[in-house]
Amino acid sequence: MHGVKRQTQQAIVDRKQREKSKIEGLLKLTDAVLDRKKGKDWSAEAFDATTQLLTVNPEFYTIWNYRRNILLNGLFRESTPEDINELLSGELALTMKFLQSHPKVYWIWNHRQWCLQNVPQGPGSDLDGWRKKYWAFELQAVEKMLNADARNFHAWNYRRYVLANMSVPRPESSELTYTMKKIESNFSNFSAWHQRSKVYTSLWHQGKLDPIKSKEKEFELVRNAMYTDPDDQSIWMYHRWLVGLGHDKELLEREIGVIQELLEEQPDSKWCMESLVHYKRLILTNYPSDRDKDLVADCVRLLDQLKDIDSARRHRYEEIHRAVVNISTHP
Amino acid sequence: MAADTGVEDGAGNYEVTGIPPLIMSTHLLVPLHVKYIQGLGESKDDLAYHLTAHLRLNAIYWGLTALSIVNHQDALDRDEMIEFVMSCWDEEAGAFGAHPNHDAHILATLSAIQILVMQDALDRLDVPKVVKFILSLQQPSGVFAGDSFGEIDTRFSYCAVSALSLLGRLHELDIEKTTNYIIQCRNFDGGFGSCVGAESHAGQVWVCVAALAIMDRLDVVDVPTLAWWLAERQLPSGGLNGRPEKLPDVCYSHWALSSLAILKKLSWIDADRTISFILSAQDSEGGGIADRAGDMVDVFHTVFGIAGLSLLGYPDLLDLDPVYCMPAATIEKMGLRKDWQALERRTTSES
Ligand SMILES: [Zn+2]
Repeated sequence: MHGVKRQTQQAIVDRKQREKSKIEGLLKLTDAVLDRKKGKDWSAEAFDATTQLLTVNPEFYTIWNYRRNILLNGLFRESTPEDINELLSGELALTMKFLQSHPKVYWIWNHRQWCLQNVPQGPGSDLDGWRKKYWAFELQAVEKMLNADARNFHAWNYRRYVLANMSVPRPESSELTYTMKKIESNFSNFSAWHQRSKVYTSLWHQGKLDPIKSKEKEFELVRNAMYTDPDDQSIWMYHRWLVGLGHDKELLEREIGVIQELLEEQPDSKWCMESLVHYKRLILTNYPSDRDKDLVADCVRLLDQLKDIDSARRHRYEEIHRAVVNISTHP
Repeated sequence: MAADTGVEDGAGNYEVTGIPPLIMSTHLLVPLHVKYIQGLGESKDDLAYHLTAHLRLNAIYWGLTALSIVNHQDALDRDEMIEFVMSCWDEEAGAFGAHPNHDAHILATLSAIQILVMQDALDRLDVPKVVKFILSLQQPSGVFAGDSFGEIDTRFSYCAVSALSLLGRLHELDIEKTTNYIIQCRNFDGGFGSCVGAESHAGQVWVCVAALAIMDRLDVVDVPTLAWWLAERQLPSGGLNGRPEKLPDVCYSHWALSSLAILKKLSWIDADRTISFILSAQDSEGGGIADRAGDMVDVFHTVFGIAGLSLLGYPDLLDLDPVYCMPAATIEKMGLRKDWQALERRTTSES
């Protein structure tokens, strides 16, 4: 149970009193449906009974299984593709209704996915007609879900599934526009930053975008975000991904400069300090020079401050401290 | 000691909202939690009890594990429990459903195996049959489905790996294939998601890291990055969240703590503050632990609260194995212990 307020003993007693008849009804319905299931009843009546039970309890996975079996072994048999399409269309409407009140129930998303996989060919000679229509609608449906909760990971997973399976694929780059929209409305949407990292990786792999150019654009975006809200960890984690292993010394030094400047404006910024330590360590490891002593001193000074202002993670900073000193004593 | 609740009307009159005042406990209320767990099977007058029938076997595993960690394993009747587990067997599938007459699923099957292991009753199980069920769920990509309908999730990969290992049949698993799928779920933050492309999430991180630990493949984890991401789950309240910019929660705290213990970086968070956060989520009247202070308790958050406390060295608790989420002594006896590290157990006087 998540986010449900605790009740007083009296409120619990009252609630239980009110629930009595509901419990009786639920148990009777459950027994009836499970009996039909045992008897391999694939009828329309059985199907309707599962609708009734799932409306009360959409998490009852056995009943979703039974429902699919009724479709496969009963209602789909001797049906025209039109009938099957009609049935699945009903399933999609039902799951959409359920998702609005239960947006985080795995089994509902799961059933929806199964329905889409079972859309027949048609109508008529237009073999992909129904499918195209459904998939185009799915993207809108999932956007609606993400408008209601921009961090719902079920919805994001489903979005990726839809994008990967649409019969008319959208260019992957359009996902950069979508995540940008999400990020602009809230910099803290880590789900959107995550999605961006996946889309870029894929586009770079396919040679559709130049990693150096796209990273430059991202650095600019992140810089704006850092200055807007330097306490937002999403931005700093994404920045760390952009810098990567620090194999571009010039870029590394440039970003250190940017963060240093921000730190001067925000002298207590934990994330500025934490990132500076990380990037300076990359310089120490990748590009040993006679400046090392100064860099180590910088890191030690920042780490001492971090131990103070972020004491919960003090042991981590101490561990890094030891590692930094170690680099300088064992070149 | 009544803390400020923000729901009282000032005159101590809280009946208006039906929400009780928040009593902050400073220690673990073991007898109350034992009573709460014992009472779960008798709450048949509660609608929620019936609406969670599809989680019954999981709930028994959670209750038994919680009781074992507070050293009251005998508080529930052993024979009755074993009989109930066996009544959930789905002969057609060759595995367990969550409740009698419910369909077999890998989630319920792992819970059944864990209960039978803890009750030393594995001899009741048709091992070859259940192994066949588990192995049949592996997909060509290497991930596992939850049942024959094919929903995939790295949670199910963990269930398969953990169950096979507890049954002494891990050698029948294609470890490379299983590991390769998990590697594909790794993200830029060092964490893991539920499937390829999915965002990191403390619960999914735990299933992936624990599965890798069982398969001796922790070498594929970017420990500094992941442990950093996990440590940043801790919020000023002491609780940990499951993803950046989300609310703290006892269950997510546990998954992050377990993952850190497996990576031997549990010292990277402030244990004292997490302990207070978990203790504050107790119901000091009826027992049990909630997701956060003031919320309704359930057995799920009760076990993860107690398990988290055990890993953090809370006094007078038995050790929890963070890889299997079962009593460490049980896992050690089976020769399955991996190289994790919890915080040192404190003595009562320090608490
Ligand atoms: Zn929770």
